[in-house]
Amino acid sequence: MRDNRPGKNILGARGVVSIFGNTRKINFPMLCKVLGWLLMIEGVFMLFPTLVSLIYQESDAQVFALCTAATIAAGALCTFCIRPSSTQMAKREGFLLTALVWVVFSFFGMLPYIFTAHPISVTDAFFETMSGFTTTGCTVFPDVDILSHGVNFWRCLTQWLGGMGIILFTLAVLPMLNYSGGMQMFNAEVTGITHEKLRPRISQTAKSLWLIYFILTFMLTLLLWVGPMDFFDSLCHSFSTVSTGGFSTRGLSLGFWESNYVKVMVTIFMFLGGVNFSLIYRAASGNWHALWRNDTFRTYLWIIGLMYVAFVVSIVLAGNASTWESVTIEPLFQIITTATSTGLTAENFENWGSLVMSLTFFLMFFGSCAGSTSGGAKIDRLLYLLKNTNNELYRSVHPNAIRSVRINGDVIAPEVVDKVIAFLCIYVMVIAFGGILLAAMGIPLIDAFFSSFSCVSNTGLGAGVTGYGGSYDIIPPLGKWVLAGLMLIGRLEIFTVLILFTRAFWKK
Amino acid sequence: MKIVIVGAGEVGSHLAKLLSREEQDVMLVDNDADKLAAIDANYNLMTLRGSPISFKTLRQAGVQTCDLFIAVTPYETRNVTACAIAKSIGASKTVARIDNYEFLDKENRDFFTRQGVNSLIYPEYLAAQEIITALRRSWVRQWFELHDGKLLIAGVKLRSNARIVGMHLKDFARCEHNFHVAAIKRRHDTIIPRGDDVLMENDILYFATTPEHVNDLLGVCGKEHQRIRKVVIMGGSRIAIRLAHMAGDEFRIKIIENDMNKCRRLPEKCPNCDIVYGDARDIEVLREEGVDDADAFIALTDSSETNILTCLTAKELGIKKTVAEVENLQFISEAESLNIGTVINKKLLASSKIFQILLDTDISSTKCMALADAEVAEIEVKHGSKVTRGPVKSLKLPYGMTIAGLIRDEQGMLVTGNTEIQAGDHVVVFCLSGALHKVERIFS
Repeated sequence: MRDNRPGKNILGARGVVSIFGNTRKINFPMLCKVLGWLLMIEGVFMLFPTLVSLIYQESDAQVFALCTAATIAAGALCTFCIRPSSTQMAKREGFLLTALVWVVFSFFGMLPYIFTAHPISVTDAFFETMSGFTTTGCTVFPDVDILSHGVNFWRCLTQWLGGMGIILFTLAVLPMLNYSGGMQMFNAEVTGITHEKLRPRISQTAKSLWLIYFILTFMLTLLLWVGPMDFFDSLCHSFSTVSTGGFSTRGLSLGFWESNYVKVMVTIFMFLGGVNFSLIYRAASGNWHALWRNDTFRTYLWIIGLMYVAFVVSIVLAGNASTWESVTIEPLFQIITTATSTGLTAENFENWGSLVMSLTFFLMFFGSCAGSTSGGAKIDRLLYLLKNTNNELYRSVHPNAIRSVRINGDVIAPEVVDKVIAFLCIYVMVIAFGGILLAAMGIPLIDAFFSSFSCVSNTGLGAGVTGYGGSYDIIPPLGKWVLAGLMLIGRLEIFTVLILFTRAFWKK
Repeated sequence: MKIVIVGAGEVGSHLAKLLSREEQDVMLVDNDADKLAAIDANYNLMTLRGSPISFKTLRQAGVQTCDLFIAVTPYETRNVTACAIAKSIGASKTVARIDNYEFLDKENRDFFTRQGVNSLIYPEYLAAQEIITALRRSWVRQWFELHDGKLLIAGVKLRSNARIVGMHLKDFARCEHNFHVAAIKRRHDTIIPRGDDVLMENDILYFATTPEHVNDLLGVCGKEHQRIRKVVIMGGSRIAIRLAHMAGDEFRIKIIENDMNKCRRLPEKCPNCDIVYGDARDIEVLREEGVDDADAFIALTDSSETNILTCLTAKELGIKKTVAEVENLQFISEAESLNIGTVINKKLLASSKIFQILLDTDISSTKCMALADAEVAEIEVKHGSKVTRGPVKSLKLPYGMTIAGLIRDEQGMLVTGNTEIQAGDHVVVFCLSGALHKVERIFS
């Protein structure tokens, strides 16, 4: 009856939906149509690097213009030529669309890289784009300094768009997704255990989140511009910092500017990028208590504090405490860049001792708060795990005790706790599986597992062969496809992607 | 428009879904997290767990800036309290659901206004009213009187004996000027028809007409008017009691109830009815109580299935008019296709009432009635609104709506393609679900 009907005839196509309209068949025509709309949005985003290239009078402008045209044309073709008989989109279309959008966006987003003045192979281009959209931030370009402004801008822009989420952006700008199908996609894309809404309508929630994101980016751009960077570099770095991606326009990354001011500013905004955006919204609208009362946020601060102490001790013991920066800015920068999965590196990081190395693993694994732009398994889940473990231990002494996991004062249902623990197990298994695949391709064992880990957690740090801050161009082509897949799995928090490989999903 | 609903029961969640589809900002508050979780994950609205009568919860829900506050928890006292709190915080309009007829009395209205409750909804009262209308006009399925009966909308089911079956709508319009077919309900869908749509058997047609021509409708649809006198009610529910009160001497009512305790209490509440202890699902009991010569059978138990099936039995025993209370929304169209005369649904009645309140805040003097998947609204046309810009046929009305008729200078008239709508007219709009907000836009 009314409950199963789509909100309204969103695309003007006249679909008669009966009360039994919720069939278990996947509505592919509608899926393509919506995908077409999304592609056109990507095309609009591609206009920006075209403009940048035009401004700097680069030959890549033509390439970008053609890619933009191709993307928009493909989108328009899907949207205007397909006339679905039903406009209904249910849960499964939501999952499928969300996962597909990221893949399709990467396929079209890679076009410029293949045809620019410094072309790379299809594999490399796809890897680079996926790395951008998922804000992993590992690059295959051996030397980014020689790339045109347009290409660098597009790299940073992909991170900015992917950081907050492609679907979330669409929900904010396209009214057509504002019905229950859109809700499914919101749930499938936004990170975290539960998805809180800020305002009654999903489009308003998406708009609020994007507003915060936009303001943060704008502020950082201004702050960096005031410092030693020019406008282009400030904008690109704001894109990759607030989205906690980690692409840079320079081969030396932030080290190019040799400025503490830049480092401090980037550290602060990476930190903000690692905070739950709903929380920032609340705090920005005057509700500071929400911030301090939030368990995850407090844990986030605690972890950074404890890590800082451990890092400083380790640095001093390793005899690297030569300047005042090396015990203040440098370790803090490194901690936050790892925890928020930005993946930049401080100088001399390799020499800080093996304790720092192992702590880095921990930071990479859990990342920062859910609902932020960062990757990793999220501190929220760590919190659930710790509290549940504590309860289990307590129960082994007091078998009859009833204890529940409480987060932010709310009792969490056991099913949710189970789901979180299942998530963590699968998360580790995905990392291990990726590592095994890479090792099978002949990559050294530690590098294989570390790259897999680094990609699933969207951090983008590389070890050994790739070297810190170095590029991933040594990995064989097939390995790059695997890593790109891992990035997507990590960005969409596993379930959205893995569910597509289950029988139950496709079975009628 | 910002709307806060407390109570995620049947009425509350139905309303929340409905209003969210009408593109309103909906906040649903309830104590029960499980009830909220399912709605929160699937609908475009926001939910909040907390007590409906807690200042803190209501502030969190944003009551201080809301345009409409609706309290539909199962307890009337809690609803009234919640409204009082909401009003004190700053809600501009409050609605409470009640179970007590006394509260509706005119002389007690002041009290509720002082308390901060602007409107009261009493679904059982609305249901009883609906049943009485159905009994008085036994040949129609739905009956809406607009503007004190100046314009009528009647839903009539076409049988094979109706002479208009098989006609194109444009041919029908050519030979019958006094009726306008606003909508057709065919199987599970409601259609806003066009000229080339064919009228088919078993369609329910919604005619707009004026009072002087109503009786011609009987001939057009091949119906006969039957005066209803003897009524058998199954289940001594609150609706039955209210119905017995409102009907007075108009009908002779017999209530069959299978709970002895209820039976003992019923004579006190409805002194003018015969009370029978027995199970109306038993055909022997029905025969014994002379159902064969009753004029109407009304099934009002808690179970929709029982109501539908017993009505079918009564139909077989030769009763012309049957009324069933069906609370499961997905059963309504099934029940309609099974030839049950009138289907009563408290949720729809309550939500149509609330829609009316909702429209009231935007547009002056409106009226709104909900069908299963469509709404009928009476709207006053404002100066300079979009619909006054030319004859109806050139207006390009949005998909899913039609203008059924209008009332000008206290005179009801039908609308054709050449009619020009003027400011100050009361227009009766028939629209499919989810289109009502579009309608608002073109009238104001």
